[in-house]
Amino acid sequence: MALKAFAPGIYPRSEALVQATRDLDRGRTGEQAVEEQVKRDQAELVRVQQRAGLDMLSDGLLRWQDLFRPLAEAADGLVARPLTRFLDTNTFYRAVLVEGEPRLRTPLPAPNLPAGPWLATLPSPFACSRAANGAAGAQALAANVLAPQIEAWAQAGCTFVVLAEPFLAREPAGIDELRDALAELPRPVPLALQLVFGDGGSVLEACADLPVDAIGLDFYLTSLDGVPEHFPTQLLPAVIDARTSAIEDPKEIDGFVERLLERRPAGLSLVPNGDLQFVPERIAREKLAALGRARVGLERVA
Amino acid sequence: MSVRFVTREIGSLGKPPWRVKSFAGRPLEESDLEEARRWGRELQVDGHEELVEKLEQGSADLTEIDDWAARYAIALLERTGLDVVYDGEQRRTEMYDHVAAHARGFEPRGTVRSFDNKYYAKAAVVAEPSVDAPQDVDELRFVQEHTDRPVKVPLTGAYTMVDWSYDEHYAREGALGGSAERRYDARLRFVRDVAGNVIAPNVHGLVEAGADWIQIDEPAATTKPDEVPLVVEGFNAAVGDVDAKKSMHICFSDYSRLWPPVLELEDCLELQLEFANRDSRELGTGDDDRPGFVDTLRLFKEFGYPGVGLGVLDIHSDFVEPAELVRDRILYAVDVLGDPGRIQVNPDCGLRTRSWDVVYEKLTNMVAGTRLAEDVLNRAHAAPATQPSAS
Repeated sequence: MALKAFAPGIYPRSEALVQATRDLDRGRTGEQAVEEQVKRDQAELVRVQQRAGLDMLSDGLLRWQDLFRPLAEAADGLVARPLTRFLDTNTFYRAVLVEGEPRLRTPLPAPNLPAGPWLATLPSPFACSRAANGAAGAQALAANVLAPQIEAWAQAGCTFVVLAEPFLAREPAGIDELRDALAELPRPVPLALQLVFGDGGSVLEACADLPVDAIGLDFYLTSLDGVPEHFPTQLLPAVIDARTSAIEDPKEIDGFVERLLERRPAGLSLVPNGDLQFVPERIAREKLAALGRARVGLERVA
Repeated sequence: MSVRFVTREIGSLGKPPWRVKSFAGRPLEESDLEEARRWGRELQVDGHEELVEKLEQGSADLTEIDDWAARYAIALLERTGLDVVYDGEQRRTEMYDHVAAHARGFEPRGTVRSFDNKYYAKAAVVAEPSVDAPQDVDELRFVQEHTDRPVKVPLTGAYTMVDWSYDEHYAREGALGGSAERRYDARLRFVRDVAGNVIAPNVHGLVEAGADWIQIDEPAATTKPDEVPLVVEGFNAAVGDVDAKKSMHICFSDYSRLWPPVLELEDCLELQLEFANRDSRELGTGDDDRPGFVDTLRLFKEFGYPGVGLGVLDIHSDFVEPAELVRDRILYAVDVLGDPGRIQVNPDCGLRTRSWDVVYEKLTNMVAGTRLAEDVLNRAHAAPATQPSAS
């Protein structure tokens, strides 16, 4: 059984980067200064992940304004515009307007990370479609936007892709649309579908036959009772809550993982339950350390 | 009896640059002093020359600057012709921090992104919240001393405080893999404690000091639709037993989620909601002309909720609504509800993101448009043959 831990998603900006971006908006500094601070933030994030002993590095998507914007800007036919609340949070994304046939113009560049395994995060095709209010189908977005991006990152050395899916848990009827869309994606590297910030209990069984290598569940909103025995796909149980500032108790995580292992899933890798950007950076650092401790605990209890 | 609507603001105004820079410890520029001179003159703020002189000399302390900012804001709201005023929340940092920083049990945690390069500060509840004394009584007394008009005190609601805080206390145990019932119970206890231990003491102090209208602000009301009953619980626990007018302000939310739980609000005069943000800027009083109002007003009609504070100004735009547009929005609401007595008039929300020039024009037009609507309704009443169907 593979036992790993890693942190997909958007990582919070440091207070220094927050200030730099505020200054940029107010005309007190330039793009170059912001970019230099982004590089400093990213270097620190790499150190934090390495110290925590995480198995794959993430660049933290520090330049991403939200989950959908970079792909919308890199694609023909898509424009990111209306400000829209992200689920039940106090953070907003720009919903995607469809103004033509969506097609990735130029893949997003691979992050500049030290040699070794690294993971990428993308929105799931169903999430992309919902961010566009259904104006573009999940299948077309998978084939024409996400697939070339996954291929490009795989060629650049990416070892794992997490598809963040915030909407399916709230719209379980979308499972067939999601399944058809995922079938359009290449799998040059393992793909995971992570149900972020949602109760995945109602769709978990239906997720078992999705064409992905792992399913992520938010166990801060999903009851452990909803996980069937011998679940055939590897699980990414979220044991770090990105929506609270409290630092997780390692004993509670160990106890939880033990109970989860009693259900004999195909495999486990520990993750946060969504973007860590929902806590300030100082707290996110502590949470990554807690994730690393949980990984050590996972090995022990397994 | 003739129709007369009550006009009022919702809460916050932007802070003058001389107030912002003074509190940030940044030097004032001539343009900041000119702002103080110009608005002091235009609003006829008594003794404003003294403020300008002190700003020039750097001799005003921060308390004095706060007092002057409040006086300017009161004067601005009065000059636009509003019936009910306050101080534009000039002394408050912002609606969440103002409460969290005062109460025991909250600790600041840092900055979180709202969108793009915009951020907000967030605190965590680490112990049962409480306060030593009412928070806003001095603020109210100052307003009462500087206006003859009725005042309405805006207060952040318990549910919004809960929803915008991290929870390191109530939900600490058993969160991982826990049940929905357990999570709801933790939120309920948090709401009850904020309402009873933080908001209610302030409300009681304000009412004892003469406040006769308390507005509870709950912008987070429908963020988690299943928790709207907690919004109601928080309101009733905070203000249910006080002898004053009580209302609730909600904005930028899915209002369809409010009913039926809001029918349990105790003695709540009205819901003041944002409408203009989602409306057309074209004139007209038909359903197609007023897309921002139609669905929500029908909820008011269907459920019979007594009063609506009609948001007729978009606070996210510098577009100055013509008086005729305000008029038509009000007339449309009267038409749908069939009773002008159930309607009062306000902006969508606090106007803190707009310049004072824009605020002045918007509010002045809001009052003028309200008078136009009254004229139409009163003329129709006086001449039954041309009476519109609603009046």
